[in-house]
Amino acid sequence: MTAVANAPGPAAPAPAPSPRIFRYQRQERRFALLLFTPALVLLIATTSAPLVYLLWTSLMRIDLTMPYLSGFAGVENYAKMGGDPRFWNSLLLTLIYTSTTVVLQVVLGLSLALLVMQIPRGQTVLRIAAILPIVLAPVVVGLFWRTLLLSPDFGLVDLVSRTLGFGSHAWLGDPQLALVSVIAIHTWQWTPFAFLVLLASLASLPPDVFEAARIDRANAWQRFRRITLPLLRPAIVIVVIMRTMIALSAFAAIFAATGGGPGTATEILNLYAYRTSFTEFNLGYGAALAAVLLAITLVISFLMFRMRRGR
Amino acid sequence: MKRAFARRFALAASAGMLLSIWGFPVLWALLTSFKTERDVLAYPPKILFEPSLAAYRDVLFGASSIVPNLVSSIILSLGATLLTLLVAVPAGYALARLGLPAKRTSGFYVLATQMLPPVGLIIPYYLVLQKVGALDTYVGLIVIYLTFSLPFAIWLLVSYFEDIPREMEEAALLDRAGRLRTLWYVILPQVRGGIAVTIVFVFLNAWNEFLFAVVLGGNRVRPVTVAMFNFISVEQTRWASLAAGAMVAMGPVMLLGLIAQKHIVKGLTVGAVKGGGRR
Repeated sequence: MTAVANAPGPAAPAPAPSPRIFRYQRQERRFALLLFTPALVLLIATTSAPLVYLLWTSLMRIDLTMPYLSGFAGVENYAKMGGDPRFWNSLLLTLIYTSTTVVLQVVLGLSLALLVMQIPRGQTVLRIAAILPIVLAPVVVGLFWRTLLLSPDFGLVDLVSRTLGFGSHAWLGDPQLALVSVIAIHTWQWTPFAFLVLLASLASLPPDVFEAARIDRANAWQRFRRITLPLLRPAIVIVVIMRTMIALSAFAAIFAATGGGPGTATEILNLYAYRTSFTEFNLGYGAALAAVLLAITLVISFLMFRMRRGR
Repeated sequence: MKRAFARRFALAASAGMLLSIWGFPVLWALLTSFKTERDVLAYPPKILFEPSLAAYRDVLFGASSIVPNLVSSIILSLGATLLTLLVAVPAGYALARLGLPAKRTSGFYVLATQMLPPVGLIIPYYLVLQKVGALDTYVGLIVIYLTFSLPFAIWLLVSYFEDIPREMEEAALLDRAGRLRTLWYVILPQVRGGIAVTIVFVFLNAWNEFLFAVVLGGNRVRPVTVAMFNFISVEQTRWASLAAGAMVAMGPVMLLGLIAQKHIVKGLTVGAVKGGGRR
């Protein structure tokens, strides 16, 4: 049996030096293009094209409650943001939410990984416990917390708080507590990610370096500061980048736990764009808000990748 | 010696306590799902109680049964997994092994598409699907699920394709086996494990998706994530049923997560290791 489909065509014109190699390369390129094109077309259709359409929509006046006003609006939607306190509030909340959750995840995840590394046995059990939150749907996590954990009187967290003498609180009803709560929910679900990744890279560090340091009488803090941390830096940077991207697109857990409320207390930019588009049906302004979110994501990822390359 | 033991014990205890913070809420939900609605609201909370299957009966066979939603989730997740693999396997191979023109740029493009926040894409999706009458259809949602599953799957597969020794495909090609046949008979059997891991992750992500489903779905296409959300907004205090529903809805992904636990870390960081500028 010989391959028919890819047999070299008879008509291939041969370039001067070693024609067979050239033909082989050209054939390989053709094959590669053939394999890659479906993915490329689908990716353009589901990501790049919608992106262009989003930018176009953000320049339009599309309010489904007032369809007679639809039309081209230019930069009107963007100009409107300057005087929109709800926008500035959501921007501030996005920054607070993203930075706190990322810092908490890395600090807690790293501490836990260092701790678990000291334990000779039982790491598998710990790893399994850590995987549970990761595989749960964020919307279900948000619902769990809203009902079983944070609900006043019956929630587990409220019970613990009352037992410890901190009293019962409206964890999701009080504006400030609600923000703390949604940050806690995100941190709870995703610290295992940082923990698992950092644990894996800790385990792959060469043990003889630590041995040498111990012989040189470096104390634990010095070993951590001078050896572990620099060696872990690439892994930490990866975790920070990935978690920042995810935190910037966080939606379902907050949506399920508070819906952005009370009022606008937990309304990060994502939720504001969603509410504007699909609760208030002002798609033009919603698109402009989403475009701002996109721009922020792009700028931050660009800066982070540059930071990573610089090191 | 004694001090070392005490230290070890303290370490284990604190690690166990911190990690139970992750395990316990899930365990608590599991316990709650076996309570009656009356036991759920008991104070102090009952650790010992007569287990009841009433909540499971309610969510499986009751008036607001989630079985249709399970079917919906299965269709969506299987469809998305199939379509993704069909496209991502050849693309991953081309990117990892073949002389693809503009290889670096193509790889970076695939990676960059992964960063778009879904909220940014949902408005154009909504407008387009509405125009072509594909709101609340499986095909529409499955194609849109490619946004997050395709870049991820391609990068995960690239990492597996790169591990195959080059000699194998060269030998096959010298035997004039043809490129497609080489890919099918020589390369793919080598990455079976990688493909299995990819399937697990793509399925898991599709199963857990919420935002696209809640906006672009409807009465016909309503996966379990949306059903769970609707459950709480309609029936505020039926927690046992909520917990039972969550256990049924999240059972498959928890199982998959446990099966694939050794590969989770690789899946979590895919792309980041390579895509950030090396190569």
